[in-house]
Amino acid sequence: MLNKIGWKKMAIWLSLLVIVLYPVFFHSNSYIMHIFILFFCWAVLASSWNLLFGYAGIWSLAQVGVFVIGAYSSGMMAKFTGISPLICIPLAAILTALIVTLFVGLPSLRLKGIYICVFSLMFADALPSVLTQTRKWTGGGRGFHDIPPLWNNISRVHYYYVGFAIFLISLFIIYKIVNSSTGKAFIALRDSRDFALSLGINEYKERLKVFALSSFFAGLAGAFYGHYLGHISPSSLGISPFLLAIAMMEMGGLGRFPGAVIGAVVLVFGSELLRLTGMSRLTILGAAVVLIMLFMPKGLMQIVDIIDNIKLRKNAIIK
Amino acid sequence: MEMLGEAMISGIIMGSLFGAMAVGLTIIYGVIKMFNFAHGIIAILGAYLAWWLFSSVHLNLIGAIAFSFFLMLLVGILIFTLIIRVLLRTPRWPYSTIIASIGLGIFLQNLLLQIFGPRIKSMPVFFEGNIKVGGITIGWHEISLILIVLSLMLILRIFFKKTTLGNAMRAVAQSPEGAKIVGINTLKIFSYAYMMGIAVTGLSGVFLSTKCYVIPHRGWDWMVKGFIIVAFGGLGNVMGAYYAALLLGILEALVVTYVGTVWVWNFWFVSFLVILLIRPEGLLGGRMG
Repeated sequence: MLNKIGWKKMAIWLSLLVIVLYPVFFHSNSYIMHIFILFFCWAVLASSWNLLFGYAGIWSLAQVGVFVIGAYSSGMMAKFTGISPLICIPLAAILTALIVTLFVGLPSLRLKGIYICVFSLMFADALPSVLTQTRKWTGGGRGFHDIPPLWNNISRVHYYYVGFAIFLISLFIIYKIVNSSTGKAFIALRDSRDFALSLGINEYKERLKVFALSSFFAGLAGAFYGHYLGHISPSSLGISPFLLAIAMMEMGGLGRFPGAVIGAVVLVFGSELLRLTGMSRLTILGAAVVLIMLFMPKGLMQIVDIIDNIKLRKNAIIK
Repeated sequence: MEMLGEAMISGIIMGSLFGAMAVGLTIIYGVIKMFNFAHGIIAILGAYLAWWLFSSVHLNLIGAIAFSFFLMLLVGILIFTLIIRVLLRTPRWPYSTIIASIGLGIFLQNLLLQIFGPRIKSMPVFFEGNIKVGGITIGWHEISLILIVLSLMLILRIFFKKTTLGNAMRAVAQSPEGAKIVGINTLKIFSYAYMMGIAVTGLSGVFLSTKCYVIPHRGWDWMVKGFIIVAFGGLGNVMGAYYAALLLGILEALVVTYVGTVWVWNFWFVSFLVILLIRPEGLLGGRMG
């Protein structure tokens, strides 16, 4: 029975079941629920980044900036126009994708490798000064406060399930993209670029498509994050969220589908534990990023591969 | 007119300092083809080492700078053997080195923060006193910095054009396979280039710390500026980086004087956008030399 379903599917369904049922049984423990909601946001962010960085080979470093743009644009839309945040969130995600694709994607995706790395980093670094300069609308350096909640009298459990829905939908679509013709085009481009180009794959167009889609999901997660916390400030563009997201992506396994989610589980809960170490939190995280790259370059997905191999070998011996 | 002159002078000074830093980056990129995302903190590390040798070990100024240069060579070889060499062997090195060096940079930054504390540090100036030229005051220290960086550039240029090691580095930069065929040990050249890049960067950090204060967080901003300078001058082009740094330094000083300090980052972003759209290979093209 167990062998037929496959242990991976079992694990996925079990963990989804745990997430769905958690608030039913532990209604009172809202701290863990808060961490779970953060995990939903981070997992979508890290997965969208992984789609860009790991699959498509677009080494953009601005994904946390995209996340913050999503939070700001949805918050501002909801606060100043009074439209329901439930409509603002998808609208803001589309707007974010448009802005980022226009300013970062269009000029830099034609170029190779390292330029987009530097350019996106530059974009993310220029954002705080734009935010502090537009104090009238964005609240400047002190941050944008009083973002309206999703609806009045909303409880944490509601946020939990809305976040879970966003998480599920985003990951499902990312999974579909990876297995679509776009995803296959990237595998072809990665394996043999010249051959893929000669078959008529338009590299620029495919890259632009993935860039816009992954910006959309990062913006979506950011918009939800903003409405959940109720405030967002330029400090979210700092080094600590950036490193955390990179570490998630890397720890899970670059270019592997559920990898970033696994990384997000480990790091969202792990970084809460690391808070106990106080000042040395970033030191430990930075060292971990280097060590994982050196000793476990495929991340935690490597363990999944090892289990798969053992199973295969066992089956071979039995037969 | 005097405002313009002062802006030009301060632009040239900052330009030469950032040029020295960007040169370290461009040497590493030109030879190894990897981007060193720990670059800013390496400059900070050089400055901190010199500051520590000067104020706690009580070496004299030249001794402290020379010894920190030597220590930075050691740091370079250490990072190269422990991290970069291992990653270069894997097929995914172009982005695994990016991520590993980001991690390394943040690790070093927070380590420095914990060891030396968040207080700002700065080195003493080399020469006291000013001279006045047509109503514009220039410090002797600033003139000496410009000359030191200029002579550093000339030394590097001679090194790359005339010496065997420099020629080997240029050969590896142009074609690693070709260099291997004629019997150059590319891994060895990589390690020398990395050491040299790190040491030059550390030295530039020392110079920067005599002009402006140093805290570990500044490294990140320096590095981003360094990237743009390097892209502007042509990736891997040493003299290109220097000229680009002078140009961007002057432009930045003009922006600060006439538009406002807060728009500096947006200026850097726009200038990078312009160079990407018009001339992505940089002002002088990407060739070592």
